[in-house]
Amino acid sequence: MSRSARVSIPQALAYRGGQPMLAWLLHRIAGIGIVLFVGMHVFAGFFLYAIPGGTANTIANALTSFYESRPVQVFVLFAVLYHGLNGLRIVVLDMWPSLHRYHREAMWVQWAVFLPIFLIPAFLIALGVKVG
Amino acid sequence: MVTQAGAARRSRSKFELYMWFFTRVSGIFMMLMGAYSIIYANLMGGRGVMDAGAQTRWAFFPISFHVSSTKVELTPNFQNPFWQFYSLLLFAFAATHGANGIRVILKDYVRHPVLLAWLNAMVFVLWLAVMGAAVYLIFAAQGA
Repeated sequence: MSRSARVSIPQALAYRGGQPMLAWLLHRIAGIGIVLFVGMHVFAGFFLYAIPGGTANTIANALTSFYESRPVQVFVLFAVLYHGLNGLRIVVLDMWPSLHRYHREAMWVQWAVFLPIFLIPAFLIALGVKVG
Repeated sequence: MVTQAGAARRSRSKFELYMWFFTRVSGIFMMLMGAYSIIYANLMGGRGVMDAGAQTRWAFFPISFHVSSTKVELTPNFQNPFWQFYSLLLFAFAATHGANGIRVILKDYVRHPVLLAWLNAMVFVLWLAVMGAAVYLIFAAQGA
């Protein structure tokens, strides 16, 4: 509840929350990013299939080629994986509160799991490696 | 008056509790269902012919036209009521999880109650629209 809190932007930027703040911020950015990009992609797909031809199709095609561009694909991959793994960490720590003693270690474990399963497909997508 | 307000607050907090619980459960379900989609697509002939992007896309929406370039045999394996229902369930989890997340974020940053109510109504309308689009894409756009 930030309803009564008034924090100026310089104050907010000066706040050094470290790892937990970074996790919260990335979780929120990733969540908003998924809603924006994937929601847009679903609507574009709907217009492509539901309304053949017409002006809506031009917009839908533009949105589709934007969504399928490599930076957006890599961002969506990052967002989905980070949001999922961070959410899993939160669920596990909430379920077994005694594990909160190791909440910092849990973040490092999370990075250790996240980085390989994000970076390997991200490189393959960014380099456009095709299979088969 | 007092009891009414108390009841409203109680039901409000019940709603928050249910949404909190739903967020956890749907998050875990989305991960398990995505993993199952990838594994099944690879077992059904996707291994070696799906590139990294197709693998990741398949996780979220395992329905015929989504990854048509991957040479997975779709017609017997994925164009059936089980996978249609599976996709709809996965999508409903995702859309509701996302809409609720946006509602929580709006509550954090929007202080004006009337504006907040309008924005929440807009989120609800967008949720309905995206669910309608998904129902069309899953059940009506087959083979398009």
